[in-house]
Amino acid sequence: MGETVHGSLVPEWADLDPNVMSQPVKTIEDKWKLVPAFLRVKGLVKQHIDSFNYFINVDIKNIVRANSKVTSDVDPLFYVKYLDVRVGKPNIEEGMNISNDTAPHECRLRDITYSAPVMVDVEFMRGDHRIFRRDIPIGRMPIMLRSSNCVLSQCRSYAELAKYNECPHDPGGYFIIKGQEKVILIQEQLSKNRMIVEEDKKGSLTCQVTSSTHEKKSRTNVTMKNGKHYLKHNTLTDDVAVGIVFKAMGVASDQEIVQMIGTEDRIMTSFAASLEECARLNVYTQTQALKFIGNKVRQKRFFDRGPKKTPVDEARDLLATTILAHVPVEKFNFKMKSIYLALMVRRVIEAQGDTRAIDDRDYYGNKRLELAGSLISLLFEDLFKKFNSDLKKRADMVLGKKGKVSQFDTVHYMNSSQDSITNGLEVAISTGNWTIKRFKMERQGVTQVLARLSYISALGMMTRVNSQFEKTRKVSGPRSLQPSQWGMVCPSDTPEGESCGLVKNLALMTHITTEVDPEPIIELAFNCGVEDINLLSGEELSSRVVFLVFLNGNIIGVTRYHERVVRVFRAMRRNTVISGFVSIYTHYKHRCVYISSDGGRLCRPYIIVENCQPTVTEEHIKRLTRGLMSFDDFLHEGLVEYLDVNEENDSSIAMYEHEIERKTTHMEIEPFTILGVCAGLIPYPHHNQSPRNTYQCAMGKQAMGTIGYNQRNRIDTLLYNLVYPHKPLVKTRTIELINFEHLPAGHNAMVAVMSYSGYDIEDAIIINKSSLDRGYGRCLVYRNYKCSVKRYANQTSDRVQGPVMEVLEGGKQKVTWKHETLDSDGFAAVGTPVQPRQVLINKQMPTVTQLSFTNDQAQRQVSFRDTPVLHKGPGTTYVEKVMLSSDTDEFHLIKLLTRQTRRPEIGDKFSSRHGQKGVTGLIVQKEDLPFTDQGIYPDMIMNPHGFPSRMTVGKLLELLGSKSAALEGKYNYGTAFGGTPVKEIMEELVRHGYNYQGKDILYSGTTGEPLNAYIFFGPVYYQKLKHMVMDKMHARSRGPRAVLTRQPTEGRARDGGLRLGEMERDCLIGHGASMLLLERLMISSDAFDVDVCNSCGLLGYSGWCHYCRSSANVSSIRIPYACKLLFQELQSMNIVPRLRLENYCS
Amino acid sequence: MEANTSTEKPDKPEPPKVVAMVYVCGECHAENEMRPRDPVRCRSCGYRILYKYKKRTTRLIVFDAR
Repeated sequence: MGETVHGSLVPEWADLDPNVMSQPVKTIEDKWKLVPAFLRVKGLVKQHIDSFNYFINVDIKNIVRANSKVTSDVDPLFYVKYLDVRVGKPNIEEGMNISNDTAPHECRLRDITYSAPVMVDVEFMRGDHRIFRRDIPIGRMPIMLRSSNCVLSQCRSYAELAKYNECPHDPGGYFIIKGQEKVILIQEQLSKNRMIVEEDKKGSLTCQVTSSTHEKKSRTNVTMKNGKHYLKHNTLTDDVAVGIVFKAMGVASDQEIVQMIGTEDRIMTSFAASLEECARLNVYTQTQALKFIGNKVRQKRFFDRGPKKTPVDEARDLLATTILAHVPVEKFNFKMKSIYLALMVRRVIEAQGDTRAIDDRDYYGNKRLELAGSLISLLFEDLFKKFNSDLKKRADMVLGKKGKVSQFDTVHYMNSSQDSITNGLEVAISTGNWTIKRFKMERQGVTQVLARLSYISALGMMTRVNSQFEKTRKVSGPRSLQPSQWGMVCPSDTPEGESCGLVKNLALMTHITTEVDPEPIIELAFNCGVEDINLLSGEELSSRVVFLVFLNGNIIGVTRYHERVVRVFRAMRRNTVISGFVSIYTHYKHRCVYISSDGGRLCRPYIIVENCQPTVTEEHIKRLTRGLMSFDDFLHEGLVEYLDVNEENDSSIAMYEHEIERKTTHMEIEPFTILGVCAGLIPYPHHNQSPRNTYQCAMGKQAMGTIGYNQRNRIDTLLYNLVYPHKPLVKTRTIELINFEHLPAGHNAMVAVMSYSGYDIEDAIIINKSSLDRGYGRCLVYRNYKCSVKRYANQTSDRVQGPVMEVLEGGKQKVTWKHETLDSDGFAAVGTPVQPRQVLINKQMPTVTQLSFTNDQAQRQVSFRDTPVLHKGPGTTYVEKVMLSSDTDEFHLIKLLTRQTRRPEIGDKFSSRHGQKGVTGLIVQKEDLPFTDQGIYPDMIMNPHGFPSRMTVGKLLELLGSKSAALEGKYNYGTAFGGTPVKEIMEELVRHGYNYQGKDILYSGTTGEPLNAYIFFGPVYYQKLKHMVMDKMHARSRGPRAVLTRQPTEGRARDGGLRLGEMERDCLIGHGASMLLLERLMISSDAFDVDVCNSCGLLGYSGWCHYCRSSANVSSIRIPYACKLLFQELQSMNIVPRLRLENYCS
Repeated sequence: MEANTSTEKPDKPEPPKVVAMVYVCGECHAENEMRPRDPVRCRSCGYRILYKYKKRTTRLIVFDAR
């Protein structure tokens, strides 16, 4: 260090003391405290909220401004102009112009959408008066929880949130649509407006750009075919030689074209053939070129209004607006676009024979994540345009009327057609079908219902990233873990099976950018040595001394001092002159400097390292802990900065202080943040085999526990609660950061790792019965039953009736068994036990609900039909709560919550936090279990065979850690890449008189003798998973049959039979067990006696053949009903199956 | 079976009666008397979510000591 060579290179280094510099870099204690500081301002769910806030506060105004004027074709005087929009506070319209402010919980309970009115200020013409109006609602916008317009965003304390019945740990970031919590998943896609060079299916090199602007979306390709370059675009019927496109854009001379692309020998030789192609096609001038392209434009199927354009005009329009749509063309000045196209050609030529120049689609820097805000903004713009075109249509119709008696009332129209925007948004979010007409985009499954199984499942859902790839394609590229995903995407948390690797989860510190205004950035670029592209001819672009400068995929200029540009930009960003989310990096291979300020980039904070020293010092951390500094202060003071994937890969990042070298630019804040929320729960994950961590990520979401402080106020369709949940004894930093401690899901069970009886093979678990008595693994299952009392068109309505009496023998009256649960109002009484098939709500529906035009007055006597809500499902349940309300349509809405308490039984599923799941194999009396010398009995016995092949060393460490934590009365840490050192734990165990390996002497519970081995014994955090035998157990002897086939029904829900399938049938055939086969397939299924006429072979009826008109040859046989059905179906299609009967005895 | 007037029980007789039940407001916990066809609305605060009142059960509860 401190060599003169470098000292001269960087002047600042000259006055550094070499003695100080050679000291090892001091480690910053407790720098992990930056992580909670970060999570307070950004991270996890913040990206959803930030993105939605951006939409609601900024983008919506841009959209309305872009579509601000509506004019009429009929009346030139008429216009409507939007002056402003805003989104109001969430409220409920109770009808009759009454609206009340609302909170999310009310919407959840009442099955209403949590939405706010979108209001506009308009200026419009009525007759020949110009009128201004303020705050006219045009529709309702669903509001994201905890966004700037949500009531919860104002809450500062837990108490305020509690007043709204909201859990302080609830992340928000979802919507409530008709009472359902819906998440708009993060969508991953290839970034727009960037060049990607790759080999296409035929092996030819292609440079592809997907352009996307507010109006257009198009894909442009430049391909190499037979040594010539072509432009491919789906509005063109055929590939067009690039030379012609250049000429059409006004770059007519061949010399100019070549200069733009590059005058190096290699490039010129490669491009020569493409130029000759123009001459071969007799295209020399711009007009010729435009005509040539114009003739290749794909004809639109629907005729456009307006005069038919000439091919020349059409081609010019196409080039200006559709091809490479994101490159600006003003007044048909194609300069920028031709340079852009030239660069595309150049990239293709450069990639010839150079595989390094081919881009990687799976590289995470080439990806953008689409969030709720941008998705809704697409949708809203579409709906708003439709709203305006409908307005115009309506205005045309009214104003075009002959007499012109009526004036067009804009305000009235807007008021009456609010539904189109309201419903459009509501339907899209509730179904997840994103249909955007102007992009011809149709996407399914964009939204999902927020999984409220446990707190973790809800959090995990908020960080989920969905990619657009087809699940069926068998390419490993998009599925495998990309090195550039480091720190951005959790390496462990992905589902198994078909969507493996396509569904990802964000890491703990990832933030997704929202758009930043590019104007000041362009200005800054020009001020620090970037020369405007419009001032240059073509030749300079490919000069060896110059670097191209890009902003969001558009070329803005060139620079001779790219290092300075980058340095200045970074300095400006660290001084918060420009937004911290603007990234800049040099691409030496492309000789380009890329600046990005667009939304959807993944980024992550790092500690800045300067002169081999991290800028963050212990002093800073101290001030952070004392609350004198926040994370934003670290950003403002240039101690920490955000790097996106591209810039991250242009930096040298040290993991720890001692790894800092001369070239190091940044340092990691904490390594455990590369994991996501779910993987963060695992103690010592770095000691586990990687798939085990992946399994745990899936299982953590199924663990029962607590879902929020407001869980008792919620009425969810299904809610699982653990009765006495524990905090884990071995926790991680992540657990603390995401408040898993406050909403835990599991128990610290005393586990003995040993074999006990034969009921523990294949991962089965032995459970101590006394532990169950004390509440281990006991859970509550809440289920809701819903019904609404409707009113119908014919003035009738549903009704709820009190219990029905039956008369006993002695003349006494008694409530029927089915209605024993009911109160006199027809709803089950709160607190009553309900047996299966007993009535919860005794609803009745009128038999006639249609409007009848006949004797309406005479038919006042309405007859009713019972449509009760029954308790179905296994076991007794208790009525917890009965809620009455009204939904938006003024119907009564009744929700009834039932509760079941379940204690673990044989077959219930448990799992530790290391992907080690197992079902209960046996429940043993405490007396029979082994015990230690201190009289400690295990809660659970786990078979040691679970370890060797799984290699979950983390679980062993967790047991040790828990044991020492329990003895010491504290919590241990199992944080990834850190945590309490094992040595420390062992010393603690020894200090308490235990074996340092965690092994104890156990005595047999049956004989009382000491066991012949030391048993690994201690607490492990176990989760109870939602899969319980009670919900799965199923058996049937006789039962319901399907109507059509008369075969037993299918599935547990319908009390169905167990199918003897094809393979089982094959087996029986193989054994020759014909009678069993007959019994299974016919007698126990759908046996049916039919009469067959032996003379015609057709089926008869009650001993009579209708075809032969005789009963002479009719005999009765037994066949499967399905077979009889087949015969009849064949007959119906003019095929006659005839049966011939023979006596097989003769 | 309607004629059996002699056998009246603490239970209610046959349907033809509309008994008002007491419901508790989800916001202010005021008690509201409500009939089946009434709009669901708290009389004191106007909140539209009401819960059914939890009262003591009328059924016989016998624990078998075994």
